[in-house]
Amino acid sequence: MSGESPAPGAKSNFTSDPEVEATPCAYTDYREGETIDDLPATGEDATGVEADVWDALYGIEDPEMPISIVDLGLIYGVTVADGVATVDMTLTYSGCPARDMLTDEVETRVGAVDGVADVDLRLVWSPGWTVEMVTERGKDDLREFGLSI
Amino acid sequence: MSPTLDDPADLDERERTALETLLKRLGDDEFVLAERYTEWQVRAPSLESDLALANNAQDELGHARLWYDVLADLGFEERDLVYERDPEDFRHSTLVERPFAEGDWADAVLRSYCYDVAEDLRLGALEDSSHPKVADRVGKIRSEEEYHREHAQNWLDRLADGEEGHERLQDALDRLFPHALTLFEPCAPPRGASASGDEPRAVDVEADIVDLGLRDTTLEELGEEWLSIVVPYLESLDLTVPASGRSDADTDEFEFEVTREMLPEARGRDGSHTDAWFDLYDEFTHTYRDLGRSDTTKIMDTPE
Repeated sequence: MSGESPAPGAKSNFTSDPEVEATPCAYTDYREGETIDDLPATGEDATGVEADVWDALYGIEDPEMPISIVDLGLIYGVTVADGVATVDMTLTYSGCPARDMLTDEVETRVGAVDGVADVDLRLVWSPGWTVEMVTERGKDDLREFGLSI
Repeated sequence: MSPTLDDPADLDERERTALETLLKRLGDDEFVLAERYTEWQVRAPSLESDLALANNAQDELGHARLWYDVLADLGFEERDLVYERDPEDFRHSTLVERPFAEGDWADAVLRSYCYDVAEDLRLGALEDSSHPKVADRVGKIRSEEEYHREHAQNWLDRLADGEEGHERLQDALDRLFPHALTLFEPCAPPRGASASGDEPRAVDVEADIVDLGLRDTTLEELGEEWLSIVVPYLESLDLTVPASGRSDADTDEFEFEVTREMLPEARGRDGSHTDAWFDLYDEFTHTYRDLGRSDTTKIMDTPE
């Protein structure tokens, strides 16, 4: 032991060379997105079969976090006409490895709703998803899971 | 204002060829670059850069998929676009197919920088595309690409600061710059198995892409903008940029006048590729062929 260890509570001194300025990590800029009118879509005012479709969507969770894909803000719109449910949906990022898994699940669950004969799932990318699209309930779920949002 | 080309069923032959050609150059660049990036996973100089490159590769694959999705409207499935496609039908720039010399991190960083600047410019030129599905994707892709450029530039600054790093960067620049210029070469329309032999010329299809409003900037304009960003920056790192078409020695204005001598023999965009591409193609289609697949996403039967 060198006997020179700092006293407990002393400030840590990892930057031993005072000439070298510490460089902050370049990737701490977690930009917040803009708030987009009408998004997230939550199906609050939906009635009839459309309301049932929203219920089915609420039952689908993100594969990595205990949050419904509706509360995560992935659903941009739902309409049902002549037995065809059209669902506009996005993903948090383009390289999402769970894309097929999620779209398959949406098609299966929505297809099982009474009054839906066919599902037209449209993946849309604009406006791009941001954290601002998470609903208040979604934020609570994420906080409970241990994420700060 | 160009009419909106939103229903693939309504496209005439000229519109269809223009859209297909544009999408193939976009998607193929991203896909092949991702294939090369993944070679660095677990071989980059730090765990942080292992993760960064792996993540960038994942982004590029995501972007390739977004462009290939639009091609699906024209009847192309994933297997037609990747695993069962004639390697000579790929339209990516030769910049993204070149192999990395073992351990040449400077090559990966410089290549990424050259590509990411070009990509940002071309995405900007697609923002108001007359094809809504093209325009719809731009914002998402751009927001993810910003990080790639930041990452490359960050490393360029550090590498250029050391003697060996600087030398390696200069070598990579001499080697890669002609290939980077092919990013702005016009694409020959895909020939494929159904080629009749009287397909339109690359320059005509490229003119159609702009006339139809699919992209609002010409390749020359994009090339000029690219040079005016890339050349001064690389020079600020004391690198010597090969012949680049600067108007005169004192300005940072450029004319994109690429001559045959400035370009590599194979240009990618016209379907000619370097040998490295055919090796890479064999590698990434190997498993598909080995398993006797005929579809990419169908779940296989559980073996007895």
